Amino acid sequence: MKGVKLRMRSNPGAAAKRRRITLQCYLMLALPIIGYLVFTVYPVLWTFAWSLYSYNGVAVNARFVGWENFATMLTKDFTYWRMWGNTLLMAVMKMPVELSAAMILAVILSRRGKASGFFRSVYYLPSVISIAVVGLVFSNLFSYFGVFNGILMRLGVIEAEVDWFSSKALSLTALTLAGIWNTFGVNVMYLLAALTNVPAEVYESAALDGASGGAVFFRITLPMIAPVFRTVLLLSLIGTLSVNEIVLVLTNGAPGGQSFSVMSYLTRQFVPGFISSHNLPPLGYGCAMSAVTTVLFAVIAFVYSRVSGTMDENT
Amino acid sequence: MNGNTRIGGKKSAAAAAVDYIILTLALALTLFPLVYTFLGSFKSNMEIMTDPGAVFPKLPTLGNYRAILNAEGFNVLRLLWNSSYYTLANVFITVTISAMAGYVFARGEFPGKKAVFACFTALLFVKTGGLDIYPKMAILSSLHINQGLGALIFMQLFGIPIVNIYLVRGFVKALPRELDEAAEIDGCGFTGIFFRVIMPLLKPILATIAILAFQASWNDYLMPTIFTAAAPEQQTLIVGLMSLQRSDGAATSWNLMLAGSVVALLPVLAAYAVGNRFFISGLSAGAVKG
Repeated sequence: MKGVKLRMRSNPGAAAKRRRITLQCYLMLALPIIGYLVFTVYPVLWTFAWSLYSYNGVAVNARFVGWENFATMLTKDFTYWRMWGNTLLMAVMKMPVELSAAMILAVILSRRGKASGFFRSVYYLPSVISIAVVGLVFSNLFSYFGVFNGILMRLGVIEAEVDWFSSKALSLTALTLAGIWNTFGVNVMYLLAALTNVPAEVYESAALDGASGGAVFFRITLPMIAPVFRTVLLLSLIGTLSVNEIVLVLTNGAPGGQSFSVMSYLTRQFVPGFISSHNLPPLGYGCAMSAVTTVLFAVIAFVYSRVSGTMDENT
Repeated sequence: MNGNTRIGGKKSAAAAAVDYIILTLALALTLFPLVYTFLGSFKSNMEIMTDPGAVFPKLPTLGNYRAILNAEGFNVLRLLWNSSYYTLANVFITVTISAMAGYVFARGEFPGKKAVFACFTALLFVKTGGLDIYPKMAILSSLHINQGLGALIFMQLFGIPIVNIYLVRGFVKALPRELDEAAEIDGCGFTGIFFRVIMPLLKPILATIAILAFQASWNDYLMPTIFTAAAPEQQTLIVGLMSLQRSDGAATSWNLMLAGSVVALLPVLAAYAVGNRFFISGLSAGAVKG
C-alpha cells in the first residue's frame, strides 16, 4: 500500500489527478461546508460570545458582564435547572416503559414471523406524523371534556373530570404518555431488526442445553443485540432530553410555566414567533443558558459513547 | 412422544394466543388516538363538548371540513399550497445534497475528509436550544433575504442532512468499484462518474431519502413558525393549525382543529401507506450503521 502511494507521488500525472479529485470533492461539498461554517459554527460561537454580555438584541446597549450570566444561573435563578429536572423526570418515566414495551413487542414479533410486518408498520405509524399534530391530538384527548376523562369516568377510575394541566405532575404524565405513544415504534423497529439478525442456531443450541426462556433472553439474546441496543438507548435518551414541540403544543408549560422541558423553555422564552411578551427577551442571559445546554448535550453524548465503549471492551 | 407433541402443540397454541393478545392490545392503543381524531372530525362542536366519552359521531357531518375551507385565519387551500411548495423544494434540495455528499464521502480521496466527516457527524449532538436563530436571521437579512418560507428554503440549501448522507455513503460503498474504474477508462472524471454512473444506481436510497425529507418538511413546526411569524400569509398547514390552537377561541374550535389535523395527517399517512418499505429501509439502514 505504501509502495503504491510513493509511486503515485513520484508520478506528476497522478499528482495532478489527485489535485483534480480533491478540488471536485470540495466543490461537491461546498454548500454543506459553507453551511457548516456560516449556519452552525458561527451561530454557536455567537451564542457563546453574547453569553458574556448583558444584551437584549440592541448592540449599542450591550454591556460586557463576564461570567455574571452564568453566576446568576447557578446561584440565583434556578428556573433553567428546574426545567432540566422536568426533562430528566420525563426521561426516567418514559424510557423504561418505552424500551421494555418495545423489547417485549419486538421479541414477540420476531417469533411470529408471518404477521409481524403488519403490526410493526402500525406501531411505527405515530413516528411518521408531525410531533406538533401529536401534541394537538393528545391535548384534545386530555382536555377537560376529553375522551380520556370520559373513559376513566365510565370505568369508575375517577369520579369527576380531572384537569390534566392543573398540576406539574399530571402535565408531565400527559407529556410522558404522549411521548411514549409517539416514539415506541421506532424502538420496536430497531430492536426487531437486531433480533432477526441473531442466527437461529444460537437458539437451537441453547434449547438443546435446556436453557429456560429467561436465561436465553438475558444470557444470549440481550448480549447478541447489545450494539443495537446501545444505539437505541442513546437515540432515545437524546430524543427524550431534547423534547420540544410536543411540550409547546400539549401543555405549553401549564400550569404557569411549570411543565416545560429545557428546549421548550428556551424556545418559549427566547425564540421569535414563540415569545409571549412583546419586549425583547434578555438575550445575553439566554445565550448563557443556550451555551450551557450545548455543552451539556455534548458531554452526555461523549460520556455515553465512552462508557458504552468501555463496556464493549469488557464484554 | 405423541403425547408430548400434543402437549407442546397446546402449549404453543396458548403461547400464540397470548402473543397475539399483546400485539393486538398494543395495536389498539396505537390506533386509538388517530381513529378518535378521524371520527371526531365528523362531529359537531356541540357533540364534541357534550359527549366526550363517545368515539363514534352520532350525527356525522362534513360541516367541519366546509368550515376550514373558508374559516377566518385558517384558509386550508392556501396553507396546503404553502406546505406543498415548501416541502417539494426541501425534498429536491435534500436529495441532491445527500446524494453528492454521500458519494464524496464514500468514494472521494482528499485531504481533510475524515475531519469534515467528523464535524458533520458531530452535528447530531449539537443542541443549541434555538437561540442560534438570531445570528442566522442576521446573516439572512444582511443578504437581503427577508422572512418567509423562501428564506427558510434558501437556508436549507446550506443544510447538512447528515443521516441521509450516511445512508447514501453506505449505499455507494456497497456498489462495486469496477463500475467507477470502467467509467474512468471511458474518460469520466470524478464528478462525471457520479452523474453518469452512480446517481442512476442510487434510485432506491434516494427514494427513501425523498420520502423521509417529505415527511420531515411537511411535519416541520418550529422553523416555519419562526420564519412566518411576520408573514402569516405564508404559514404552512402545520403552523396554521397550531396558531389556531394558540388563538383565543381555541376552546370552542376543536371541530376545526380536528378536521385540520386530519387534512394535515392525510398526505403523510398516504405516503406511509404507499412507501412504507422506504421508511423502514431508511430506518434499518440506520440501525446497521449504528
